[in-house]
Amino acid sequence: MKQGIRQHRLTDAQVGFLLVVPGLAIFAGIILYPFVSAIMMSFTDRSMLTPDYKFIGLENYRKVFADPYFTKTLTTTVIFVVFSTILPFTLGFIWAVLLNQGFKGSEFLRGVTLVNWIIPGTAIGFLWSWIFNGQYGVLNGILTSLGILKEGIPWLGQTGTALGCVVIARTWQMLPWYMAFLLGGLQGVSLEQVEAARVDGANNWQVFWYMVLPSMKTIAVLVLILGAIGNLQHFDLPWTMVQGGPTRATTTLSIEVYTTAFKNWNMGKAATIGTIWAVLLAGFSFVYLRQVSESE
Amino acid sequence: MFRKTPAFRAFFWIFIILIGGFVFLPLLWMINTALKPSAETFTLDFFTGTKTLENIIRIVTDEKIMGYLKNSLIVSFGSSAMATDVCAMAAYSFSKFRYTGRKFIMGLFMMSQAFPQAILLLSIYLLMQKMGLLGSYWALLISYVVFTLPVGTWTLKSYFDQLPDSLIESAKIDGAGNLKIMLQIVFPITVPGMISIAIYGFVWSWNDLLYSMTLVTDTAKRTLASGLVMTFLGEASTNWGYMMAASIVAAIPVTIIFVFLQRYFIQGLTSGAVKG
Repeated sequence: MKQGIRQHRLTDAQVGFLLVVPGLAIFAGIILYPFVSAIMMSFTDRSMLTPDYKFIGLENYRKVFADPYFTKTLTTTVIFVVFSTILPFTLGFIWAVLLNQGFKGSEFLRGVTLVNWIIPGTAIGFLWSWIFNGQYGVLNGILTSLGILKEGIPWLGQTGTALGCVVIARTWQMLPWYMAFLLGGLQGVSLEQVEAARVDGANNWQVFWYMVLPSMKTIAVLVLILGAIGNLQHFDLPWTMVQGGPTRATTTLSIEVYTTAFKNWNMGKAATIGTIWAVLLAGFSFVYLRQVSESE
Repeated sequence: MFRKTPAFRAFFWIFIILIGGFVFLPLLWMINTALKPSAETFTLDFFTGTKTLENIIRIVTDEKIMGYLKNSLIVSFGSSAMATDVCAMAAYSFSKFRYTGRKFIMGLFMMSQAFPQAILLLSIYLLMQKMGLLGSYWALLISYVVFTLPVGTWTLKSYFDQLPDSLIESAKIDGAGNLKIMLQIVFPITVPGMISIAIYGFVWSWNDLLYSMTLVTDTAKRTLASGLVMTFLGEASTNWGYMMAASIVAAIPVTIIFVFLQRYFIQGLTSGAVKG
């Protein structure tokens, strides 16, 4: 390689291309090939339990769409994505506004807040399973000792509350991420213009509504789309907290693909669900790329 | 930015307490539980009862878990170094070279995180199985580079874009080859950017659960995230104090890195997505 990229042998264009070859090779091997091959797999009855498989056309798709569980998985995914994006965004925005006031210790709080985001999802899943634990969890402990509840609720053990618990854990994990981006956005708001508006008699609310919000629009839309893409992919918390249960209450698309493939070893069906999921994601990604190119 | 009117003061204090409590109390509860003696795990004491390092000591003397920790370090350092190299070369190429297909390849890199990981995993698993890599670190090392590819390439490209072309031109006139220019002139100037990408890659690899659960079939080669999940899920009666101690041990390396290199890290986090 050292010999190869000597200037007198290669043109600049060739050198430039050689430099992207490692990245391109990894892209081809870890993304492009697996993606195409998974789409092809979705037209077969491939299973890990038997070595042989054959082409079965759209049979997998017919089965998946006829499966009432699949509609349930889609609904669960949509609920999870919507709430786990809106909640941490809203709280992260308020938190960013507060920390942006620049009081004593605000820098410190900002740093400590980010720790929640930086630590492994596994640890976060364990922590929130413990907080929501039905027998000894601190949430039930506080609620019963305050007299709000007579006896503890099995938060993660019943279908009505499990998904909400996972959303809360995800909100806790992602709030710092939204905060970091939105703080960056707030720091881009021109203080001189704000001062000028003050002189003209603008109050806090008007400053927020007519100056802060408009200048934050681009970054807000970007983090919302990026956040939604991340949530559509999210696996760690529903898995570590409840493994998609109880009775599929927290089974999102990523959990469903994982269990279909690596617990039931039905690769063909997993690939089918995955392909449908990829189409959904492509919609979001398209919007994202358009936003990015517009903001450039 | 906002005047301290009574209404704003009320808003400020209500949310400082509400969001602050939500953000900070859970982690303190984790530490609190880990430091309790086993007999007191289920009490509501918040840093008031006896404190002991019993749980932490049990974790750091547990050979299996320390093995997972070592694996995590190997995989995270390895993939982070690989990712930084790959991204730096690609970013330099995108920034300073012109050739057909450049924009198209840039688009491909940008998209690489938008593919659903779980679906890629199906074929990556079969591919790695065929190549006999499932029992080694390689499957993870290579797969993790992808996590950093879009953000890493874009962040570093914005660094390279700021380098004046004249710097490279004059080095060429002095007779320096492309490799020498890259390694001795261009890369050293962008070290801060590379550090932020290396940290980004490290944290992603350290925290990943899905790939490490699937692409490592040899129990002894498991990383911390998947190792802990395998250890604690499905246990009949959970020892919560021990579990919280394990979580703290898993969180410490990334937290330390973050504390020392926070400035670089926030840069890496925000610049890639915003600058596009």
